[in-house]
Amino acid sequence: MIVAMKKASLICMKEDKNTVLKALQKSGEMMLCSVGSGSSSDGEASGAMRKMELLMRKLKPYQKKKGFLEGPPEIEAGEFDQRGDTELSLAKQADEWLEKIEGFQKEKDRLAAEISVLEPWKSLPTALDALGESSYTYSAVGILPAKSVLQADEVLGKYGAVSEILEDGKQSRKISVTVLKEQASDAMTELKTLGFEPATLPKKNCTALELVEELQKKQAEMDEALKKAQEALKTLMEKAEQTISLLYEQYRAENEREEAPLGETLETVYLEGWVRSDRMEKLEKAIAKATDVYSLSFRDPEEGETPPTAVKNNKWVSQFEGITDMFSSPNYREGDPNPVMAPWYWLIFGLMMGDAGYGLMMAVLIFAAKKVMKPSGSTLKLMNVMLYSSITTMLCGVVFGSYFGETWNPLWFSPMDDPVTMLIFTLVIGVLHIFTGMICKIVQNVKEGYVWDAIFDQVSWMLLILGLGMLFLEPLKTVGIVLAIVGALIVLCTAGREKKGILGKVTGGLVGLYGITSYMSDILSYSRILALSLATGVVGMVMNMLAGMIQGNIIGFVLSLVIYIAGHIFNLALGLLSAYVHDCRLQYIEFYGKFFEGGGEPFKPFAIHTNHIKLK
Amino acid sequence: MSGISIAIMGAAICAALAGCGSALGVMSAGKAAAGVTSEKPELFGKMLVLQALPGTQGIYGFLTAVLIMVRIGVLGGAPLDLSEAQGWAMFWAALPMAIVGLISGLCQGMTAASAIHMTGKQPDASGKGITMTALVETYAILALLTSILLIYGIAL
Repeated sequence: MIVAMKKASLICMKEDKNTVLKALQKSGEMMLCSVGSGSSSDGEASGAMRKMELLMRKLKPYQKKKGFLEGPPEIEAGEFDQRGDTELSLAKQADEWLEKIEGFQKEKDRLAAEISVLEPWKSLPTALDALGESSYTYSAVGILPAKSVLQADEVLGKYGAVSEILEDGKQSRKISVTVLKEQASDAMTELKTLGFEPATLPKKNCTALELVEELQKKQAEMDEALKKAQEALKTLMEKAEQTISLLYEQYRAENEREEAPLGETLETVYLEGWVRSDRMEKLEKAIAKATDVYSLSFRDPEEGETPPTAVKNNKWVSQFEGITDMFSSPNYREGDPNPVMAPWYWLIFGLMMGDAGYGLMMAVLIFAAKKVMKPSGSTLKLMNVMLYSSITTMLCGVVFGSYFGETWNPLWFSPMDDPVTMLIFTLVIGVLHIFTGMICKIVQNVKEGYVWDAIFDQVSWMLLILGLGMLFLEPLKTVGIVLAIVGALIVLCTAGREKKGILGKVTGGLVGLYGITSYMSDILSYSRILALSLATGVVGMVMNMLAGMIQGNIIGFVLSLVIYIAGHIFNLALGLLSAYVHDCRLQYIEFYGKFFEGGGEPFKPFAIHTNHIKLK
Repeated sequence: MSGISIAIMGAAICAALAGCGSALGVMSAGKAAAGVTSEKPELFGKMLVLQALPGTQGIYGFLTAVLIMVRIGVLGGAPLDLSEAQGWAMFWAALPMAIVGLISGLCQGMTAASAIHMTGKQPDASGKGITMTALVETYAILALLTSILLIYGIAL
């Protein structure tokens, strides 16, 4: 059922703005609409929120690893607003540790870079500060390519330089050069044209080897400090993680309040939004609690307005709402398709899985997952859909005699032995499903006063399809022929009724009759039920066969248990994915295609939304 | 050639080609999913579902091959003495699944990759992406049905 909406207008004093917004957010009953004037953005909270988000991202490596199925931490909804110095100081401490760690890391990188410069000169016998200019000479160390060694010797001879080979390699030679100060720059330029690369080394009163050792010692110290800081941050995160997530969520909620669309005068604030007609008192109560001075009025939606859609169903049907929402929310003015869709989805899911053993596994596993993960929102709904569908899965498994892929005493018949009967059965299910959709359209048409359209566009096709179906049953053959002809004649005569001119009407009718192909392909589409149920059954059977093959001795028996467990869980996961996807498809295209318009805007009230923690 | 070896050829081609189709499809979807996950690790679950979708063709091909094996008695029982004509009939029966499995697996993989890109930009649209990708699979399912009905229809 689609809930009627009311437009609420709220005026309150400017000084109460924050308390009122907070109350609105906490109650989560009103979907705010923009009221013309823009809202103030980029307030304090948005900056704080972004800072906290960055902090959370940086802290991620230091958090305790979460279990795969573990949900976010829970806190009491009443405690959400509390923010004291302890919380803020925890965040600050974490931030400081992070900064320290970053500093250590930078220092480590710097040391490593320095060492890599010194590394090639470890064999230099003199102290580093002996290089460069002295009173009369200039000395340098550098690398000379092997091919220019002879030319370099000539240059060195020309300037009367003293050179020493420090290390001789195949490709290059490390040398030290000492030359008179006045000739230094000329000599160096000439050497450089030969490919000589002088090294820039720090001036220190020790040899390169000693310096490298010293730096390495520092590096080790830095490593130690870094490790300690990381450990400390990890310990801190054990208690700070939840606090920081909470702080982020608080700032986010605050930011949403700052961005709430509202109109302002000098003294008052004006808010407008949609409220569910069955929850108006709750909104009023929430506001009354926050302030005494306010004016709240409700009115029905006007002609041109499109209110958002909220649906209300019993607990069982409401679990299936997510399936429809994934396709499209129903629009405000049409009916809610969920109560009709839910039983079909439930049944078809069971037919597609169709195995009593897998149904049992689904029930147990999903029940356990619900206990461990404590999901909420759409995940919870989807899990419930599957939990409910485990019942139909078990039932279909018993009817078709499938237990973990083995056939055993089917109540009706086994699709594995008789796929043709199963194919016909799935097509009959398809016809019934499509007819349900068409009946929904008839109801819609009749409600809106288009009785004739219902007869021309829906009843005619139902007669035709029903008649064609009866042709396959010997005793009903004549009735079938009559029905099919009546249906086809109605379509032929009326499908072109909106076209102009005789010619248009005739071709319209013929084109309309051609629509039989689309109905046929819709119905044939339901054969996927057979394919999927066979796929589950056969893969399960193969797993059993594989396990059976190696059951010769004790080791084989243990191995076969592994194959049983892994194989059936794999097959179950695959079957669930296929059944979910293809059941959705049958609802969206074959079923909703017959009557559902959709395109509604979902009702999303102004509320506290949290990702990293869960409010109880 | 003896009938049984022709029938086995059909089963082998069916499992091989459909498996190749799925492998290619899952690969192209997987590449796209890896890209999205590198930026948005929280979408991993949705990516996994979308990536798994083109994997069904391989299962269908495998399923068809197993059904042929059961039917001709290679699995669980003594191999039947098939005539050459019966062997060829089995071979042709396997072809729809083999060919459509290969091509639809490839195509579904490309669609899945697009759906993955869409989900990367709009995480809420993953359901729509799944539906679009699943539409491609329809034809693999029809081919599977054709193959199954043929395999059971051949008189042995």
